[in-house]
This record gives sequence, C-alpha cells and structure tokens, in this order.
Amino acid sequence: MLRAFRFIVELFTQRHGVIAFAFFLLVGLLMRQAPLSVRESIVSSALGTVFYPAQVIISSVNSVRSVTAENQHLKEENARLRQETYYASEGLQELARLHTLVRFDDKWDYPIVTARVVGHNPGRFLTTLVINRGSSHGVKENMPVFSMNGLVGKITKAAYTHSRVQLLVDPNLKLSVLERKSRVVGFLESVDGHLLTAMIPSHAGVKEGDTLITSGLGGIFPKGIPVGTVKAVRKSDLDVMRQMDVAPFQEFSSLEEVFVMEKEPEWIIQELLDEQ
Amino acid sequence: MNSNWKWLRVFILFLVCFALQTTVAEWLQIFGAGPDFVIILVVSIAIKHGPAAGVLWGFLAGFTQDVYAPVEWLGANTISLTALGFLVGQLEERFLTLNLPAKIGVLGFGFMLCDMLYFFLTGLEKDVVTNLFFSKTLPECAYTMAVGAVVFHLSIGKKKKHA
Repeated sequence: MLRAFRFIVELFTQRHGVIAFAFFLLVGLLMRQAPLSVRESIVSSALGTVFYPAQVIISSVNSVRSVTAENQHLKEENARLRQETYYASEGLQELARLHTLVRFDDKWDYPIVTARVVGHNPGRFLTTLVINRGSSHGVKENMPVFSMNGLVGKITKAAYTHSRVQLLVDPNLKLSVLERKSRVVGFLESVDGHLLTAMIPSHAGVKEGDTLITSGLGGIFPKGIPVGTVKAVRKSDLDVMRQMDVAPFQEFSSLEEVFVMEKEPEWIIQELLDEQ
Repeated sequence: MNSNWKWLRVFILFLVCFALQTTVAEWLQIFGAGPDFVIILVVSIAIKHGPAAGVLWGFLAGFTQDVYAPVEWLGANTISLTALGFLVGQLEERFLTLNLPAKIGVLGFGFMLCDMLYFFLTGLEKDVVTNLFFSKTLPECAYTMAVGAVVFHLSIGKKKKHA
C-alpha cells in the first residue's frame, strides 16, 4: 500500500509535474463535461462527507462571534417593534377590512422551516448557500427560500440533512417579478453572478426607488415576496423594455438564518421540471 | 522538517485559508473588492514546493470552490487553479530566482490568468467578462497582490531569522 502510494507520488513529481498536471487537468475536464446528474452527485457527495464537518465548525465560530452584535441589534429592534406594534394593530384592523373588500386571496399559508446557513462559496462569486435542513425536515427541491428582509432564492438540491440554496444572483435563476405600484410584470436575472438586473416594459414608467415583488407567475415563488428596489434605470436594446439595476432587500453575504417555505411547485410546473 | 509534518502544515494552512476566505475576506472588502487568500496559498505552495505540489493543491482548492459554485460551472475553478499551480511552479523551477517583487509579480500574473481561464470556462458573454474584468478582477488583483506582499515578506523574514 505504502509502496503503491510512493510510486504514485514519484510518478506525479517526475518531468516537472507535467504528469500530475495532465492527470488533474483531465479530471477537471471530465467534471466539466459530465452530465448534470453526475455533477450533482459529485457535489452532493462532497458536501455530505468531506466538507460538511468543516462547514459546521466555521458556521459555529461565526455564530459565537455574532451573538454580541445580534444581542445589541435585537434590543434596538425590540424597542422599535414595540413602537410599531401599536401601528400594526391599527393596520391589521384596516387590512382585515380591505381583505373583505377586494377578496384578497392569501396564498402564503404554507408551513415554514427555519434553517441556519452552514456554508457558502469560498470563491468571489456568492451564488450558492448550504443550509442545515434537508429532506428529513420536509425540505424539497424548488421550495422558495426567504429571509426577514426578502427573497433569497430556491432549493436546488435537498439531501437528507442539508440542502443547497440557489441565490437570486445565480445566473441560472430567472425570476418573474411585479412592480408594486404599476403592477406590471417583468423578469429578474443576474448575468454575471454579481449584480441583479430586471427587464420591465417601458410603459410602466418604473423609476429609481420603486419596489419589485414576486409575481407568482413562475409557479415556484408565491406572489408578493419582496425582492428588491430599483437602483438605476438604463435603456435597453429593445425600446419596449427598460433594463434596470436592482438592489436586493437581502444582502446575501451576511445571511445567517433563512426560512424555507414548504410550497411545492404547481403541478404543471412540476411536470415541466420533471421533464428536464 | 519531517515530510509528513510538512504536508500536515500545508493542510492546516489550506483549512485556515478557506476559513479566512469565507470570513475575514468579507470584512476586509473595500468598495466590494476583497483579497483572495486561496490564490495566495496556491501561488505560495507552487513557489515553495514546485509544480507537482502546486498542481495538487491547486486542484484541491479549485474543487473546494467548485463544490459551492453553481453545479453548471463545476470544474471551472478546478481547472483554472490547477493550471495556476502548474504554471507558477514551472516559472519558479525553470526561469526565476524569486525575490519579493518577482513573487508579487507572479501572484498578480497568476491571478489574472486564473480569472481569465475561469471566465472562459464558464462561457460568460464577452461584454460581461469585460465588465467583470474592470469591476472585479483588476481591483481584487491589486488587493490580493498587496496582501500577498505582506504574506511573502513575513515568510521571507521568518526564513532569514532561521538562517
């Protein structure tokens, strides 16, 4: 065993590392070219075995560090919330009345699973999180994930004890959004894994500071989850559409806890997803 | 130093670097640009232990980053960091007597090369890459070179003391 290991080490160190380079490059290229299901299983196996203990340790250190700051923040928030409670009770009465008036259909009646963020990209593009809740807690693929501030993303892979969350800034996630005032529907995406961009019809007259929420049209996210505010409006190649930079309500790098909405995609969407 | 201890030390440094990258790198950000401790580690290992070690640790570092990146991009970090470890190791072994400025230069060159290779492998559009190059790659390369200078200076100072 030891002799075989030594032979491999000697082989790899020969010819100025060219053999080692060729071997590892080949492994990398095979991973790059592998079918999506194989890539998923590679990532899932690595996350569930080698990397999981490290994530838990790092996340525990972070939790301890943040307790003091969180305590201070909670005190301030508590004071503010006491003030708001009075206004909220007034508002609730008014809301109940308005619900009756417009026959508002409350679709947010789904169970919520609270989860702790235990890992995220160590690279410079933060596009994925790992949370400590999986299928054993009722989490399934394509369930919406949000925080107290707004939408975070969706579950892309649910393992038994943990799940991967695809963030809004992942270029592979496209989202249908609604401008709150004009009620015009557009779509949101990130082309570079860094900034969020929305495309909304020009006639809506959307301007800087306007709020975007989920439209509920994609079948995955329910209608009305806050997404972000318009930071800048730019002219796009198409005159009928306006391209705009969007600042998300939730800063993804500082996420410690998230909520998973136990809402499964509508049946037609589920069928389309299963076909892929 | 016993070779087993040497590898254990590199492994601990590897863990520390990833812990720094997921925590400290965020706090050190200036205008959204932060240092890349992982690239500093791969370049340091390749300079100190040669191309074979550079390739091995570049591969491990790249794969670790890939596990948390979108599944569609799996392999992009692995290939770019493996190539970085190999090329820096070759530069050190064949061409350069690496003093501090040369090491910093190699780090900057390696950073740019690694990013360009990554962008190419992920298949991002040309204008997106151009935008990312000026908004992310250039400032983060400069920042990483500054942090790398401190790291290399400290490691050279330590060596001189031992001598």
